[in-house]
Amino acid sequence: MNSELINQLDLGANGLPYSIPIHPNLVHLTLGLFIISIAFDIVGVFFTLEKPIFKFLAIKATRSGFFDVGWYNMLASSVITFFTVAAGFYEIMLAQPQADVKSAWGLGAMETMLWHGVGGVVLLTLIVGMTVWRGYQRFAWRKDRALQVQWSYLFIGLFIMFIMYVHGTLGAHMAGEFGIHNTADNLLRLGQDPNALLK
Amino acid sequence: MFENLLPALNEHNLPYPDTMHPIIVHFVIAMVLFAFFCDVIGYFTKNSRLFEVSWWNMFFATISIFIAIIFGQIEAGLALAYDAVEPVLNLHTLIGWSLSGIIAAITGWRYVIRLRDSQSIPVSYLGVGVFLTILVCFQVYLGDKLVWVYGLHTSPVVEAVKEGVL
Repeated sequence: MNSELINQLDLGANGLPYSIPIHPNLVHLTLGLFIISIAFDIVGVFFTLEKPIFKFLAIKATRSGFFDVGWYNMLASSVITFFTVAAGFYEIMLAQPQADVKSAWGLGAMETMLWHGVGGVVLLTLIVGMTVWRGYQRFAWRKDRALQVQWSYLFIGLFIMFIMYVHGTLGAHMAGEFGIHNTADNLLRLGQDPNALLK
Repeated sequence: MFENLLPALNEHNLPYPDTMHPIIVHFVIAMVLFAFFCDVIGYFTKNSRLFEVSWWNMFFATISIFIAIIFGQIEAGLALAYDAVEPVLNLHTLIGWSLSGIIAAITGWRYVIRLRDSQSIPVSYLGVGVFLTILVCFQVYLGDKLVWVYGLHTSPVVEAVKEGVL
């Protein structure tokens, strides 16, 4: 975004009207819920193998319980990710990254931000799509089946996790290498001493 | 003299590409907060499926927090923490270790509750859930400060400390 426009706002040293970015915190929820959802669906599918282990540990476990986790966690991930993406776009539009730095993947700040922005919308679409697909399996197609999920659903879930890894690393570069919305990094860039100012 | 036996550190002062601790804590933060959310909704709607979801999320959070602490200690040890950071890093460490005990104890309690009656939970458990939720949020706030305010393991801060600017 045009720095003249950004400067019209009253922002702190980190380039935001508040001290801590919101997007990275919502990311915990999006990723945690999605990954655990797929993980528990996998646990549900392989229930026969795990049954003796849970019995040995004296932990009550049912297949349908694991599929409940798979469904509800995926649904929650879907809901929260709209806010993750919204907060992400708010903060990316206020970003003023270092222009002369290349990331560990050889990308500049602008390329990294563009890919991360597009990737975010793609992931939101995929997560919502997975939730709808999961819902059809749970409530219609496989309502009376012991295995509530299809293999293809699990494989695509794992593939989405790979996209999340790439996408998340781009996000990590934005924070850790370009110093976007990082108070200490921005103070250093201005030639000020974070040690004295952040005590 | 043992220095050259250690792996080389990159521009984040880490032996691997990026920080791991903030990734592993996804599985503590998301699972604890969602477990509490499920408990509250389950309590008021009497939907016992949500209690099952809550229990398994707490079960997973309990395993994850110990892995989070291992990586947290490695990365705290490698952080070039300047003077201003120290009180925050100390408190984050103290609460982090305490949370491992607290979360394990709550999950243990939940195990007993679920064994006796998986269809309901006592109000006292919800009360402890409120306390845990607040504590986790505060811990996240401290961790956020370490990264976003103090910039630990970000390349500009690592560079500044190594050059003696910070």
